[in-house]
Amino acid sequence: MGFIVLIVRLVLADVRRHKVRAAMLLLAVTVATATMALGLSLRGVSDALYEQTRAATAGPDMVALSGVTDPDVTAALASLADDPEVVAHHGPYRIVYADLTTRDSISSPVVVQGFAETPGAVNRPLVTSGQWLRPGGTVLERGFATALGVGVGDHVTIAGRSYPVVGIAVTAATSIYPWAAQVGPYGGPSDYTGLAWMTRSDARTLASSQDLPVTVALDLKLRDPAATEAFLDAHRIATLRVNFHTWQFTARQDMVILRNSQPILVVGSWLLSFLAITGVAALAAGRAAEQTRRAGLLKAVGATPGLIVTVLLTEYLALALVGDALGLAIARLTVPAIASPTASRIGDAAGPGGAAVAAATVLAVAVAVLSTLRPTLRAMRTATVTALTATAHQPRHRPWLTALSALLPTPLLLGLRLTARRPGRAVLQACSTATTVIAIVALLTLYAQPERGYGLDGSSALPNLRGEHDRRLMLAVTVLLIALAVVNTLTFTWTTAMEARANMAIARTLGATPGQISAGLSIAQLLPALPGAVVGAPLGVGLLSLFAARNSVASPSSWLLGAALATLLATAALTALPARLAARRPVAQTLSAETA
Amino acid sequence: MNVSSAAVRARGLVKTHGQGQSRVRAVDEVDLEVPEGQTVAVMGPSGCGKSTLLHLLGGLERPTDGEVWVAGRRVDTLSERALARMRRRSVGFVFQAFHLVEELSAAENVELPALLAGRSRREARRRASLLLERVGLADRARYLPSRLSGGQRQRVAIARALANDPLVVLADEPTGNLDTAATLDVLRIFEELRSAGQTLVIVTHDERVAATADRLLSMRDGMFVDDTRLAGTGTGRLGDLIGLEG
Repeated sequence: MGFIVLIVRLVLADVRRHKVRAAMLLLAVTVATATMALGLSLRGVSDALYEQTRAATAGPDMVALSGVTDPDVTAALASLADDPEVVAHHGPYRIVYADLTTRDSISSPVVVQGFAETPGAVNRPLVTSGQWLRPGGTVLERGFATALGVGVGDHVTIAGRSYPVVGIAVTAATSIYPWAAQVGPYGGPSDYTGLAWMTRSDARTLASSQDLPVTVALDLKLRDPAATEAFLDAHRIATLRVNFHTWQFTARQDMVILRNSQPILVVGSWLLSFLAITGVAALAAGRAAEQTRRAGLLKAVGATPGLIVTVLLTEYLALALVGDALGLAIARLTVPAIASPTASRIGDAAGPGGAAVAAATVLAVAVAVLSTLRPTLRAMRTATVTALTATAHQPRHRPWLTALSALLPTPLLLGLRLTARRPGRAVLQACSTATTVIAIVALLTLYAQPERGYGLDGSSALPNLRGEHDRRLMLAVTVLLIALAVVNTLTFTWTTAMEARANMAIARTLGATPGQISAGLSIAQLLPALPGAVVGAPLGVGLLSLFAARNSVASPSSWLLGAALATLLATAALTALPARLAARRPVAQTLSAETA
Repeated sequence: MNVSSAAVRARGLVKTHGQGQSRVRAVDEVDLEVPEGQTVAVMGPSGCGKSTLLHLLGGLERPTDGEVWVAGRRVDTLSERALARMRRRSVGFVFQAFHLVEELSAAENVELPALLAGRSRREARRRASLLLERVGLADRARYLPSRLSGGQRQRVAIARALANDPLVVLADEPTGNLDTAATLDVLRIFEELRSAGQTLVIVTHDERVAATADRLLSMRDGMFVDDTRLAGTGTGRLGDLIGLEG
């Protein structure tokens, strides 16, 4: 019991004393785990929303469609309803291909399904506002209506005729907007299309008056909903062009809009974790001597090496697990918006599943352990007496570097020597910069992609929701990465300044100006950032090529160069303030503090 | 004196630092027995090996050669874990630089060894209160070390060293960082401990501290060069010292 009290007390006391470091670890782990949990939850949430919509709308297990409307095909479709495996059906019904225009002159391809005024047992669209069909009116699918900005009471023009929108509804018989047309006209390929319903007679009139293409569809409910493949095998009609869409296919199709979201979030979470590790490791290394002294005095009063490790790791692990819990809570709250970018599905999105929770927790623990392993091992292995008198890091003597830097102007001389004092930190700074540039390159590349809008003939009057969604997510991940990189840069600069304060004070006594000291500290961060930025651009392009579509377009070289330069300029600007603050410390005060 | 009646015993103790030509014998073939209840002062010039000897006796460092026995048990062959347990149970350390945990209050620092020894929180707190009262810091129990003077910090460190009622207290220059008034406070506490039969080994440069001991060992170049019994010293001498200051 005493051990637990002791560990809790030491952990709490250290957290209170180093609030900034604790907040940084908490923030970094929270964003990394939230991003990863979101990325890993998309599939499950999308499936869950489809399932709930399917349950609420008596969604069919299978839809049979044919672009040929002659009597043989209609009869063949109708005969499917008599199959002993079919327990209920809806249709056959018409699907008419037309154009829809709103009052704001936004036009879009639309498929109009001719339905009964009283819905049957299968495929009963759920009205979310307004009412179900009446003659002369139309009901719009909710995702489509949301994209159009149309509500109940508005009028839309379909194939030249004006119809009042009497209701808004959702269905699980088709994929989410804009993939409502399961097949194109005459069984051909389909374009981005919205869905509307009319009464059967209105649909018939619409089709015949304009001689519009029509597809005939039949919704089927099977005895065994899982046996759709067996049903398909038994009913392949070689001579007739009939397409079958199973409910499993529709559920998978819902994920198309999220195809890029998963890699953006999961790879983003890796990059965020990496930045978290570099930042926290730099902080931990900065106070390694203090940590070692603390371990030494605990050993002197009887703490075993195991207890030392427990105390040091528990603090980081506890913070990481709190961050993990926060991240999972954030993921739980934001997953509905991210997993369902259209309004085509209803229901409550379940939070991250067991696998996502486990993966996020492993990530949090890995961040905590990797960022503290080295100082923890050092504290554990250092002999007690040595630990009690542990001093700050003693840099190695590098005669060649000293000779080389002597040829340079004072700020560069100071910057180069400061960088060389902590080569490990320089590598972390380079990696941090490279990670930031990778994210910016990915974001720029997403913006460089040409994309087809959802409006008529690919018009961007209706924006491409998938592209918008990808860009929004990438922007969010990039902003988080930049925020962590900013914190890291400030941390690196301040830690370098604090460690080198005695040397900088001595340089001041030898005639260096505060401006030269400040510039030297900034250059110490810029020197490793430069190779980081140079390497980051091609790494970003390479990483994207792993996930990009075959027809994707690379962003212009000038954009990549601009990203690298902007990152370096931002680094210079960010280091200026802490460097200036550190350089303005009174020399005498610093020197007397060091010798006390 | 047999092994079991000695609180601390060292036989042929050697500690070398460095390698090759820069090899230094910090402690060179030292034999020592400190009976229970005895106060031993070790004096000598800087770098003569006093502190290294103290670290070897308390298991903070391992000897290059020789044996160390604490409470009748050989400790130089113990694992790190076993050494830690031995320190918890049998040894209390007082350092020149205090070495308090800065983020813990005075009382929490004193509770540390008791909690490490597996005592309950209540018991550890009760013991810490008693000890802080004994060193005259009951009213500073909740203060962080940064709010205490050097003398007060050293008194907290002494209280912490006594938390588990150790067989021996090893003090390394306990007054080295203190002014005269604080030194006298610490001397008073050591005198009380000596009177109560606490075994003490004190490494010091300060003759006033050495004068409170039962026995004075002089060290030079890693070896004892003199072993003096200070008969008739103690409270009277300390009283004189304090009187002189007044």
